[in-house]
Amino acid sequence: MLVVVTVVFLLIHLIPGDPVAVILGPEASAQQIEDARRELGLDRPLHEQLLRFYARLLRGDLGRSYFLDRPVTQALWERAEPTLVLMAAALFVAVLIGVPTGIVAGAYQGSWWDRGLMTAALLGVCVPGFWLSLNFIYLFSVRLGWLPVAGYASVFQDPVAAARYMLLPAVSLGFNQSALIARIARSCMIEVLRQDYIRTARAKGLAERSVIFLHAFRNALVPVVTVIGITMAILIGGAVVTEIVFNIPGLGRLIISAILRRDYPVVQGVVLLTAAAYMLINLMVDVVYAYIDPRIRYA
Amino acid sequence: MSHRKTAWAILTLTVLALCLAASVPDAAAQKKGGILKVGNLGEPPTLDAHWTTATITEVLAQHIYEGLYSLDAKSQPIPMLAEGMPAVSKDGLSYTFKLRQGIKFHNGKEMTSADVVASLNRWGAQSTYGKNLYARVAEVRAVDKYTVQMQVKEKTATVVISLAIPNNAAAIYPKEVIDKFKPAEKATEWIGTGPFKLVEWKPDRHIKMARFDDYQPRKEAASGYGGRKVVHINELLWMPVPDAATRVAQMETGELDFADDLDLNAYERLKKTAGVQAIVAKPYYWLVAVFNKKEGLMTNQKLRQAWQAALDMEPIMKNVAGGHAELYRMDSSLAFVENTPWHTKIKGLPWNEHNRDKAKRLLREAGYKGEPIRFMTTQEYKWMYDFALLSKQQLEDAGFTIDLQVVDWATLVKRRNNEKEYDAFTTGIGNAYDPTHHVYLTPNWPGWTNDEEINRLLAELAGEGDYKKRFALWEQVTRVFYDKVPVARYGDLFGLRASRSHVKGFDTTLMRPRFHNVWLDK
Repeated sequence: MLVVVTVVFLLIHLIPGDPVAVILGPEASAQQIEDARRELGLDRPLHEQLLRFYARLLRGDLGRSYFLDRPVTQALWERAEPTLVLMAAALFVAVLIGVPTGIVAGAYQGSWWDRGLMTAALLGVCVPGFWLSLNFIYLFSVRLGWLPVAGYASVFQDPVAAARYMLLPAVSLGFNQSALIARIARSCMIEVLRQDYIRTARAKGLAERSVIFLHAFRNALVPVVTVIGITMAILIGGAVVTEIVFNIPGLGRLIISAILRRDYPVVQGVVLLTAAAYMLINLMVDVVYAYIDPRIRYA
Repeated sequence: MSHRKTAWAILTLTVLALCLAASVPDAAAQKKGGILKVGNLGEPPTLDAHWTTATITEVLAQHIYEGLYSLDAKSQPIPMLAEGMPAVSKDGLSYTFKLRQGIKFHNGKEMTSADVVASLNRWGAQSTYGKNLYARVAEVRAVDKYTVQMQVKEKTATVVISLAIPNNAAAIYPKEVIDKFKPAEKATEWIGTGPFKLVEWKPDRHIKMARFDDYQPRKEAASGYGGRKVVHINELLWMPVPDAATRVAQMETGELDFADDLDLNAYERLKKTAGVQAIVAKPYYWLVAVFNKKEGLMTNQKLRQAWQAALDMEPIMKNVAGGHAELYRMDSSLAFVENTPWHTKIKGLPWNEHNRDKAKRLLREAGYKGEPIRFMTTQEYKWMYDFALLSKQQLEDAGFTIDLQVVDWATLVKRRNNEKEYDAFTTGIGNAYDPTHHVYLTPNWPGWTNDEEINRLLAELAGEGDYKKRFALWEQVTRVFYDKVPVARYGDLFGLRASRSHVKGFDTTLMRPRFHNVWLDK
């Protein structure tokens, strides 16, 4: 974490750009900009700013956003719910589409099912998220009027409205991610279905459905869980494009606007949170491995 | 009275009553209530009007705050929180402002001279325009509870206009807020006297404002940003929607009632959408390439003149405006047509000459040998990138070598303050309400125009009180501008906004939107 913290701090501070010039607006004079930089401590040498950052971090203080006038922890907390809800919904869609697609394609390798589904998966990987999102908006919101274009409602305050707002972003984001899951699930299924114990199961006269779901699927699941874990971590960092197009006030939108405004404390905060989430999810994935495959044991 | 006379009297009265009824259809049709949803491009850096020149802050803050003066439809100062125009002493060094009585802040406190003095002093220490004026101010003091006096060190023509401009405005805050936040610190309590009060600010979700029921409108008719302001709607919900395509789609579906800063390419689509009115926002910016006159190639006046001579601006403007003639205007005046008092009509200026031979001659005279000129722009504002790209082509055809450097906005605004990092950069110049407020003519703004003649003329303008003499001086400034070319002025670009047809009473002539006097008819 110390490495992540230091690298992020240096990267964001070394790229050109000035938060103060953005905040003060286009007609601010050089003197006004200098005064405000002094006020925010941005005139201090970089090593001094880094040491101050470490000191604050040790106290659990991520600093204060230059732009939002509030502590970074508060800004992160306010945006956690939309991102987590979007992540859960998109992951649900991705798994719902990706896993069955991969199983069917793997089990019927070389068939028209396999070719059709893998072509769809290839499209899913290739189609840019924003293009898919804008087309969904045009079709389902503008033309058909079934769903709202953009926005967010809290699941705790208005679950029905939340579902209506979340459907299009979850499907467009989930579709993209499902393609990767489907391809991994397929290749794992193919590998497992070639194993001796599968041949034995078939020789014993087990139904094909039992062979696939009881014997092959569970053993193919370990790499699929890894991909799902990675997908989850990516989505926690913020599905930037989806959040911007669908106007979801989550972490992805926060980090993009923070980078554009050079709101250093916020960028550092989001990256730290994402790094922590990666670690936590990796831990969860390791625990799930042991549950799926009893042969995996940690000392 | 005869029957005939009685009949005439009844007929006359009936006609009069009908005329009166017909003359106030709007008043009868105005509906109270409802929530107006406005989509804008993002979050303001603050709602502290003294603190930033950012346009988004101006638009939002002007609904919450008011100053002593405002601007009418012809960009002339008119009283707002002041009772009338100030009484100026014979020597021109003392301005006395009588305040309106019974004006309430959103916290229920009555506005007095103590609030005004504290606010003006903070504004004078922090705001771009405040600092400009306060360089000539000796003292601002409270004479009594409702009277404020400003002493200036020398005759100053810009006192009232400086107090009236809406950007980085001289907004009046309660003294308690001023005491809490020193000038260099952003205020985080937003209490004003304006027709709307702030209810809630949830970054990236919305800024909610509600009608201020204790607001006391002026009696004069609404004009420009001032006059009588009545709030018909219950709530004004500003929703940041950073993606321009999403804002357009939300206008089409009716999720938004109003949207600002739309992509000009959406103009035709919006015009064809039933229930939506596409509004051309005039003026918006005039496009400009600002030259670095402190260091590097563009310190050479001949080179700047060559740049000006080479450009064929009409195709550039047309392209930037998405091909729509309604969205741009070719004009050489440094003040917009809408800024009536300062708009000039000087003929024969070396503007939009597209004279390649002249440009080549000037390049030779400048001793230019094809060294790359670093021209900085950004794609964050599409219009800036577009006009920079088109300029590069035309300039290179005339013999320039342009190194177009595309960076993000945060980098551009940092680098433009360092004379070693660029030769020219793109930006837009908004409405300046007084000749002394054109920042690109001053030595304190990036590009650093520090021309003796311009400085002298601007100093004379700041001290001269007679409008005719001031206008003559302004015309001289314009002529010197086109000779010295501190910046290359392109055409006027307009903005695009849209409203649903149930939004009534919106003044489409305003440069920046205001939602007082607006009602929802649905």
